[in-house]
Amino acid sequence: MMDEFIIEANNLSKSFGDFVAVDNLNLKIKKGEVFGFLGPNGAGKTTSIKMMVGLLRPTSGQILIDGTEIRHADKLKIGICPQDIVLWESLTCKESLKFMGEMYEVPNDILKTRVESLLEDLMLMDKANTLVSNLSGGMKRRLNLAMALIHSPEIVVLDEPSEGLDPQSRRVLWNFIRSLRDKEGKTVILTTHLMDEADGLSDRIAIIDHGKLMRLDTPKNLKKEIGEGDIVEIHLFDSKMNQKLISRLKTLENIDSVIEVDGIINVRALNAVGKLPEIMSEVQNMNIEIADLSLHPNTLEDVFIELTGTRLRE
Amino acid sequence: MKFISVAIKDFKELIRDRRGLFMILLFPMFFMIIFGFAFGDMGKSDETHNLAVINLDEGAKMPLSNEEVNFGDNLTKILSDSEYENSDVKLFKVTNTSESTANKLIQLKEADAMIIIPKNFSQTIVNKMEDSITAQGTGTTSTDNNSNNDTLKLLIKGDSSSMGFGVSQAVLVKIIGEYQDNLAAHIQSQISGSSVETLKLFEGDVESVSGTESFSQFDFLAPGMMLFAILLLATTVAASLTREVEKGTLARLKISKMRSFDMLFGALIPWSAVAAIQVLILLTVALIMGFNWQGGLNSIVLAMFIGVIGGIGSIALGMIIASFAKNDTQAFNLGIMVVVPTSFVVGAFFQLPQMVIGEIMGRSFQIYDILPWTHILNALKSVLIYGNGWSAITYDLAWSVLLTVILFIIGIGMFSKFRLSVEN
Repeated sequence: MMDEFIIEANNLSKSFGDFVAVDNLNLKIKKGEVFGFLGPNGAGKTTSIKMMVGLLRPTSGQILIDGTEIRHADKLKIGICPQDIVLWESLTCKESLKFMGEMYEVPNDILKTRVESLLEDLMLMDKANTLVSNLSGGMKRRLNLAMALIHSPEIVVLDEPSEGLDPQSRRVLWNFIRSLRDKEGKTVILTTHLMDEADGLSDRIAIIDHGKLMRLDTPKNLKKEIGEGDIVEIHLFDSKMNQKLISRLKTLENIDSVIEVDGIINVRALNAVGKLPEIMSEVQNMNIEIADLSLHPNTLEDVFIELTGTRLRE
Repeated sequence: MKFISVAIKDFKELIRDRRGLFMILLFPMFFMIIFGFAFGDMGKSDETHNLAVINLDEGAKMPLSNEEVNFGDNLTKILSDSEYENSDVKLFKVTNTSESTANKLIQLKEADAMIIIPKNFSQTIVNKMEDSITAQGTGTTSTDNNSNNDTLKLLIKGDSSSMGFGVSQAVLVKIIGEYQDNLAAHIQSQISGSSVETLKLFEGDVESVSGTESFSQFDFLAPGMMLFAILLLATTVAASLTREVEKGTLARLKISKMRSFDMLFGALIPWSAVAAIQVLILLTVALIMGFNWQGGLNSIVLAMFIGVIGGIGSIALGMIIASFAKNDTQAFNLGIMVVVPTSFVVGAFFQLPQMVIGEIMGRSFQIYDILPWTHILNALKSVLIYGNGWSAITYDLAWSVLLTVILFIIGIGMFSKFRLSVEN
């Protein structure tokens, strides 16, 4: 079906001078899905979505919104919640939403009820007439999100929505994002560098690094790709010994991969617990001291590490 | 009507940012007070000014009595006899001379001003009297049947940069105004008619001006201070527009259905109001500091109107600055860098040497005249120092409106191109 995709990016590139921020990106976002852009800071996530909402002109390539070139696309279709808090400090919550709605030409009667329901949904009702400058950080974040939704866009773009939120507010936000998809059928695009956010929320995830699309799939498939299993992380006192130990560990049987990530040895194996005695004896044989050792089940982050050789957060 | 929403939003932001608002209004007020103290007493002595009179009047015969009259001589005598209010110091030391000599005297600064009485001065007055008498005789009440449309042109000239000329001009306008009123009343009583409208003897709309109190340097500086305040708006506007860019609120608006027109025209409304209020506040402060304000309430309204036009020019300048500034501090600094030299160029503090680049509509056009604020200042001075009305400032007002419109179009164009289009 042709219009199953609401956003298409074809050969999208963006350079700033010599620096290539986005490199030949091709992806299609389905109507009604939560689409996650996952990548470390500076990977090109924000640049990509800025182009997708029409704020930034691509160096080359094309973006189609519901089949229409972005330049001619209906502005009502897209709402963006920027990474930074972008609000008018001397307006109240209600005034801010009303003003933004007017800028989108939302009819007055609809606007009124929409302002009320957004304030309600994002738990800002009792702050409706409070100046933005007097809101707490979390409240500002929520209003920031409401501003993107005031014209009821089909596509909601959220740039690092959890940034600066406490765990509790994060849960509220996630539930809200899910309800946007499930109750209102909206397409949600979110960028994040938080694994659990990408994993728990997204229907599909695009992993981006250095402006390039590394993988695009469902979280489940991505995790399957590197196989089931566990990860052992070994932190040596003397990181100079890392390479020596890695070469020794590689000779062991039933070990899927051994790599060094940010000075820590990362061992992936199907049954890592069973492998631990063997690993430990290698360490002892080499007479190396371990500073820290941990074991955890395979996560999306490990997929990322496998793909990029780095962690998401430095 | 998105621009109205923008205007309301900007207005709220302006009002609620108390500190910013205080700065906008207090800073120029502070300047005005300092200038008031510094220059309020300067030149305040009852000084006799040198006036060169070129009386070309050939005289005429009075209609009924056939008596020979010369109104030019009459006016000259009045000018030489006039004294300062509450003082026996003469207003003018009159020198009867030719136009070429008078020009020299002015150049040598031996005369503060010259006045040229045309050769048909008396004849024109007599003609008007005859017309009135005829109208009276035939019972016509209309004054439109004046076959003689001669207007009396008393030309006052001088070095517009000198304060002596400023004072002389103001005083001359007052004396001539009174002379006209007295003459008209005199003729009216002579021809006993009451239904005839007042004879309009002089071109221009001279309003009654208050007494010839001593002028001080401050009187000539106060309108300049108002202009400076209006120009300073450019920095505040630039900073506020740049803040929208910096904080990202502009990006929010860019992806909405708002157009550049909505944003910039919307911004215009509250800022113009600030310009008008600024003129009012500064005029009040100036009056407290001893400014000799001429003209009635009309002149306040007129000055506020002029201030609004000047304010729009400043807003346009602010948009141009905001097209380049990266953050509001830079906008502010850049603004000061532009506004202060501009204030000097348009003569807000003192007149710069004349630099005529051409002649338009019989008036010399100076290089400074390409800026709207030069005309704004001329109009403000004309209204506030000399108590002139609409007709006297039409020329300057027309220019300032034209130049402001051009500047505003440039401002909108640049801000839209650099700030409101899709980023590259």
